[in-house]
Amino acid sequence: MILTIDTHDPRAIYQQVADGIKELIARGVLKEGVGLPPVRQLAADLGVNLNTIATAYRELQKEGLITVKHGSGAVIASSTSAERSQVELLRPLRAALTELVLAGLPSNEILDVVARELRTVTKGSK
Amino acid sequence: MSLTQYIVTFYILSWAVRIRGWVRRWRQPQLRGQEWFFNVHVQPGFYTGAGRKILHAYWMRIFIPSAIDIPVATAIFISGHLLLLRWLILALAVLIHLNHVFSVDLAERQARSFAVPEAEQPVRSMVLSLKTRRLRDYSNRKLEVALAVSYGVALAWLVWYYFAAPDHQNLRLVFAVPIFLLYVQTGMVLVKQMIVAWRMPVPQAQVDEHIAAHEESRKLYLKVCDFGRISCSVAILVWPVLLGASPAHRELFVTLWLISGLVAGVVATVWQEISRKKVLAVALRARPVKLPDLLGQSDAVLGPVCYQPSTPMLVLKGARGYSLNLGNTFAQLSAVYLAGLVVLMVLLRTAP
Repeated sequence: MILTIDTHDPRAIYQQVADGIKELIARGVLKEGVGLPPVRQLAADLGVNLNTIATAYRELQKEGLITVKHGSGAVIASSTSAERSQVELLRPLRAALTELVLAGLPSNEILDVVARELRTVTKGSK
Repeated sequence: MSLTQYIVTFYILSWAVRIRGWVRRWRQPQLRGQEWFFNVHVQPGFYTGAGRKILHAYWMRIFIPSAIDIPVATAIFISGHLLLLRWLILALAVLIHLNHVFSVDLAERQARSFAVPEAEQPVRSMVLSLKTRRLRDYSNRKLEVALAVSYGVALAWLVWYYFAAPDHQNLRLVFAVPIFLLYVQTGMVLVKQMIVAWRMPVPQAQVDEHIAAHEESRKLYLKVCDFGRISCSVAILVWPVLLGASPAHRELFVTLWLISGLVAGVVATVWQEISRKKVLAVALRARPVKLPDLLGQSDAVLGPVCYQPSTPMLVLKGARGYSLNLGNTFAQLSAVYLAGLVVLMVLLRTAP
C-alpha cells in the first residue's frame, strides 16, 4: 500500500496522490471499506501543506471513490457508489488515444500499449 | 538508604551512562565509513582536510553539557544541598539531547560544502505509505490493561486509606505523589503519540530498508516510554505499601525501593544500549539520501520557533537549522501539558 511521488512529474502533487490511490483501488490493493490515513499523517510524511492532501481526498470523494466521515476519516467506497456515465469515463481514454495517434503510433501498436497498460493497472485485482 | 544517598548514587551512575554516550557520539560521524560524515557523503580526503576541523569542533561540542555540569555539581556538593542534584540530572538529560541534535545539525551543514555533488541532489521520487499509524497499533494491550488496573487498585486503596481516618490523614501526603506520577504518565502517552506521528519520508530506492530503519527506531523510543510508564505505575503501587507500613518497616521498604530503582535503572540502560545497537545495524543498511523539499522550506530563514498551522510537522528544517512549529497540535498540547505541570506542582505544594 504505497504511493510514489515524482518531483519531476508535470502533474501536481495532489493529482499524483489522487491518481496513485485510484490506481491502488483499480488493482484491488485498496478494497472497499479500507481506511485511508488521516490528511495530517500523509501531509506530514510527504512534507507538504495539509491542503495538498485534502484536495486529493476531495477529488477522490467527488468521484465517489472514497467516503469521508467525520471522526472515522476517509474510507474506500463501494464500487457501486462510484457509478459514472460511460461518456464521462471514456473522455480521458479518448484524449490519451488521440495523443498516441498524433504521436504517429500505428493502430496495432496502440492496441498493444493499451492492453499492456490495462494488465498493469488491473494486476492483482480480481 | 536515605533519599540524599540515593540521589548522590544516581548522579554518580549518570556519569557512567554519560561516558558510554560520549563514546557513542564520538564514533557517530564515521559509522558509515570514511566516505561519510554522519549522513553526508563527503569527498575523498575530507578527514585529512577541512573535515578534520569540523570533526574536532563536533567532538568538543559533545562535552559542553559536562563542562556545565562539573562546576554546578561542585557548587551543590560544597553547599551541601544535595537534593538539588535531582534537578541537575533532569536538566542535563534534556541539555545533552538538545546539544547533540544541535551539534549534529551544525556539523552536517558545515560538511555539506565538502559533499560529493551528486549526493547532494535530492532524489526524484518519494514513497508514501498508506498504512494508518495509530497509537493502539503500537501498544501492548496486556500492558495497557495491567497499567490501568494497577492505577485503579492503588488509587482505590489510597481513597479508602484517606477516608478511613479523615482527621488523621494528610491529603497532600496521601495523594500528591500518585497524582504527580499519574500526570507524568499522561505526559509519556503524549510523547508516544508524537513518536507514532513522527514523519516518515522514504525515498523510492531501498524502500524496505528505509521503512525498517524508521520503524525500528520508532519501536525503540516507544519501548523506552513504556519503561518509564511501568516505572511510574510501580511507584504508584508501592506508595500505598509505604504509607501503610509501620515506621520501622517503612525505612526498610524505602531502602529496598530505592535500591531496586537503581538496579532497574542499570538494567534499563544496558537493555537500551543493546537495543540501540540493533536499531543502528538496521539503520546502516539504508543509504542516506537527500529528500526533495516539497514545501520549499530549506531556504527559508526560520527562527527557533515558528507558527505554521497549515504545515503538519512539529519540527521544520530551514536554512539555519531546526524550528519548532507552534502551529502544530502536538506543540500546543505540549505547551498546555507543561503549563498544567507547573499548576499541579504549585497546587501540590500549597495543598493542606
